[in-house]
Amino acid sequence: MRLLLGILDRVRPIFEDGGKLRPMKPVFDATENFFYAPSARTQNAPHIRDPLDLKRFMSMVIIGLAPCVVAAFYFFGLRMLAMIVVSYAAGGAVEMLFAVVRKEEINEGFLVTGLIFPLILPPGLPLWIVAVGVAFGVLVGKEIFGGTGRNPFNPALVGRCFLVLGYPGVMSATYIVPGSGPLGRLTEYVGVEAMTRATPLAEAKQGVVAPIADLFWGNVTGSAGETAAIAIIVGGVFLVLTRVANWRTVAGIIGSFTVLGLVLHYARPDDFAPVGWHLLAGGLLFGAFFMATDPVTSPITNGGKWAYAVIIGAATLLIRNLTGYVEGMMFAILLGNIAAPVLDDVAVRLRLRRLQHEG
Amino acid sequence: MRQELTKGFLKRNPVFVLMVGLCPTLATTTSMNNALAMGVAATAVLVCSNVFVSLVRNFIPKGVRIPCYIVIIASFVTIVEMLMKYFLPLAVSEKLSIFIPLIVVNCIILYRAEDFASKNGVMVSLLDGIGMGGGFTGALLLIAAIRETTGNGTVFGLKFWPAYEPAAVMTLAPGAFIVMGLLLALFKWRSLRKIRAATLTARAEPQVGTEEVTA
Repeated sequence: MRLLLGILDRVRPIFEDGGKLRPMKPVFDATENFFYAPSARTQNAPHIRDPLDLKRFMSMVIIGLAPCVVAAFYFFGLRMLAMIVVSYAAGGAVEMLFAVVRKEEINEGFLVTGLIFPLILPPGLPLWIVAVGVAFGVLVGKEIFGGTGRNPFNPALVGRCFLVLGYPGVMSATYIVPGSGPLGRLTEYVGVEAMTRATPLAEAKQGVVAPIADLFWGNVTGSAGETAAIAIIVGGVFLVLTRVANWRTVAGIIGSFTVLGLVLHYARPDDFAPVGWHLLAGGLLFGAFFMATDPVTSPITNGGKWAYAVIIGAATLLIRNLTGYVEGMMFAILLGNIAAPVLDDVAVRLRLRRLQHEG
Repeated sequence: MRQELTKGFLKRNPVFVLMVGLCPTLATTTSMNNALAMGVAATAVLVCSNVFVSLVRNFIPKGVRIPCYIVIIASFVTIVEMLMKYFLPLAVSEKLSIFIPLIVVNCIILYRAEDFASKNGVMVSLLDGIGMGGGFTGALLLIAAIRETTGNGTVFGLKFWPAYEPAAVMTLAPGAFIVMGLLLALFKWRSLRKIRAATLTARAEPQVGTEEVTA
């Protein structure tokens, strides 16, 4: 580690003011901060010493995602590694370009987006489509709105939405059949030629219902990180306990989905599948724990969070059962993201009115 | 004189700077053929109506000028529509069907009649019409070029790169808004940069003189 510090110190002058590579300073800063805590101190107030800064926040999400990543590797093989590398490389290139143009630092926010993005894609997707999707998501979903912290939509979902609308055929035909046995596909690299099969939600429309146990352990087709409910719950509960993910959002989505599902299932059992099965199928849990809880694109107020969660849960259920789309979580979260600022505004106004009445 | 001709292309481009006539812009730019046909049709109407409005500008009573412009424009649109139906391939004219009659209420044409042709001479109005129409056609072609190449993998209907897998979304409505938004941002960024550079030089120059006054 000493050696690395020496190298960093030796090349530092090139990136400082007047150095040859001054425009590339954000790249240098990011590399330095990745390995060491920055030594710069604030000169003026406020001297905020929050133990949970942005970087730590993102690190927690990465740890929470770890079980899903492991499950994805087990079920879909080493191809996941290639997808993650491509996602980081292509999205990082866009991020770096904007940081250099804006003369800002590279933000840690992309660490999470770059990892989540491959997890919400079909595992057999051609790598160049992964690159196109993540580049689009970062560019249109985040950077043109002003970068990390100013984006109205979840960048990973914007990228996925673009791919679903742009390459519908490829997207629905690359759900690789998961591996099984003690090693799964851990030692294999399966490509586009691998055996594929429709997802449980798509098959359910034809009347083929996957067993609940398979959904729970993840032995079904689906987007890379969403199949194993157990892995999502383990990682998600960790995030809720460390208060990185807000429990209100998660509880609201799952609660509204369950209640509405129960009511509609008993009212019209032909149109609505049993809610317990639906809870574990598709991307509902993954979206509820990891994507809807994004602190930037969800409301700030607690009242707003509840309303936001109910919108997402209800929209997912309705899209899944009543439209041509088999999975509604992505559209539901994007809808919730649109509504988030308005919900915050309403929550604040209601609060103010109540305070005025109490006088 | 020359400025009246060239202003429509970049400096006061009807689509990217004045932001008028956006509805046909979004709707007809799915392919370059459609965009070209739409642009040429609108330009023809614009040039004719500009010249005609400018000719009769002194005889139109102020109170009823807008209805008069509409009648003039509608006549030319009808002529252009009949010509297009006769000469263009069925696929193109069918695709543009509703948007050609709608040129009557196209903001660009009414706006140029009201704002320019009714106040200026025939020659200048002709140049203005050509410039604005050219700018409109250019903008349509630019958007259509991006949408057709990315969304369909073709240029004017010809496949240029067989291995490319087109992203269907770009020829659908969301693609129109995405491309439009990015291009608008680009134009805005360019003009903001110009303004910033101008204010910087303006601030840098008079400092020598003002120092004495403040001192």
